[in-house]
Amino acid sequence: MLETVQISVVRAALLVGLAAFLESALSPLLTFGWVGPRFLILGVVVAVAGLRDLQALLLGFFGGVLTDALSSALFGAGALGGVIAAAISVRAGDMRRKRGTGLYFAQTVAVAVAAYDLVALFATALVGQGSPPILSYLASGMFPDVLLNALLAYLAGGWLLRLLVAKEEAWT
Amino acid sequence: MGRRKSSAVSSLAALIILCVASLALFTVYVKEGDSGPLHTVQLGASEVLRPVRGLLGLAASPLSAASERVGNVMNVEEKRELEEKVLEYEEGAAEAARLRQENERLRQLLDGQRPSFTYSPLASVVAPVGGQLTKRVKINVGTNDGVQPEQPVVVGNNTLVGRTTNQVTPNTAEVVLITDQSFAAGVRIVPPSGSDDDSSDDSHGEGLLRTNWEGYLGVDYVDLSAEVERGDFVTTSGRAGDRELLFPPGLFVGTVESVSSQDIDQYKKIVATPAVKAKDLQEVRVITDW
Repeated sequence: MLETVQISVVRAALLVGLAAFLESALSPLLTFGWVGPRFLILGVVVAVAGLRDLQALLLGFFGGVLTDALSSALFGAGALGGVIAAAISVRAGDMRRKRGTGLYFAQTVAVAVAAYDLVALFATALVGQGSPPILSYLASGMFPDVLLNALLAYLAGGWLLRLLVAKEEAWT
Repeated sequence: MGRRKSSAVSSLAALIILCVASLALFTVYVKEGDSGPLHTVQLGASEVLRPVRGLLGLAASPLSAASERVGNVMNVEEKRELEEKVLEYEEGAAEAARLRQENERLRQLLDGQRPSFTYSPLASVVAPVGGQLTKRVKINVGTNDGVQPEQPVVVGNNTLVGRTTNQVTPNTAEVVLITDQSFAAGVRIVPPSGSDDDSSDDSHGEGLLRTNWEGYLGVDYVDLSAEVERGDFVTTSGRAGDRELLFPPGLFVGTVESVSSQDIDQYKKIVATPAVKAKDLQEVRVITDW
């Protein structure tokens, strides 16, 4: 027997808004070197998990723009990261039924955080603010960042998803 | 089947449009001036979120203090006092060394309590800001206190810790720290005051203070003939080629940690230790005029 869930769009939007706020206000306090929690990515991946494609992409974009507006980061980089995270979450949707919620969120967040970190790296390099060599960044920055956020997603993803579920249906 | 295919196409189109919109926002943000709409939105949000960031910073401070206590064998309070004393000593020593190197006219001008400096009120560090690739903090003084973009930020009287960015609101200012990769300053290397070396300024080296991607603070473009030694003081030179003065001369930045060079190098490789660590920053002042 497989399960499908129907996500409340309003709750999903609220979760993404909260994630954007935490990303801009709390994440800098918890970032050590290049590694820190990416609340935006975690929020977007979970929030759009049961939404339709267009809703998911728009919500990812909304979360990214909100993060950009609330933080002092480069405007547009967060928006792109949010859209990419939403797209990855949508594409990985089938995996949740096959592998279980925890593993699904861990893997999806890992890929989305990797993409988000690369976007941030290239954006920083593009504006000439100085960025590390990509191989060193991949090894000592992006890799531990991905692991940390995948662990967070594994632990918290299922719980967050339950907060968003408006209706749960069982089907065979 | 046809409907599913149509849905996939529309999703792909939406993805492309939103990616292009993101890139357009990025381009506008980079190209627009500091008074552009996107910068204004960020400044407004920064002002609104200031109390929240302060509260979160306050809430997070016990965590960092606890981890510091676990990591340190020494009493935290005692350590802080010792660090302050060391900083005070180094400031004085750097100042003395710099003054000894200056000519008589400049020495007379700078004698005493730096009458030409004007400081902002004492400011607290509210919270770190920015992404993982930047080292910036927000402080609670702004244009209402006379703070403007691109002004030096110091601890004590003359220990440089960064400069203000263009993100200055009436009550807050963003500070890019000297350990941020986008920070650069013209510096001079001077020996400690106890040194017997009385050679000219140039022989001790001048260069550009920058942080490399590994996080090491370094002084670039120091000539191979410069007699730089471990323990020498790094102070601002007050100039950067032909550019307008961004920092006044003589601000203490740190000490030389290592000096190396190879035959094929054009310049010395100098690593410096900043006088104040970013995590220890609590109260700072902005030099608003000099």
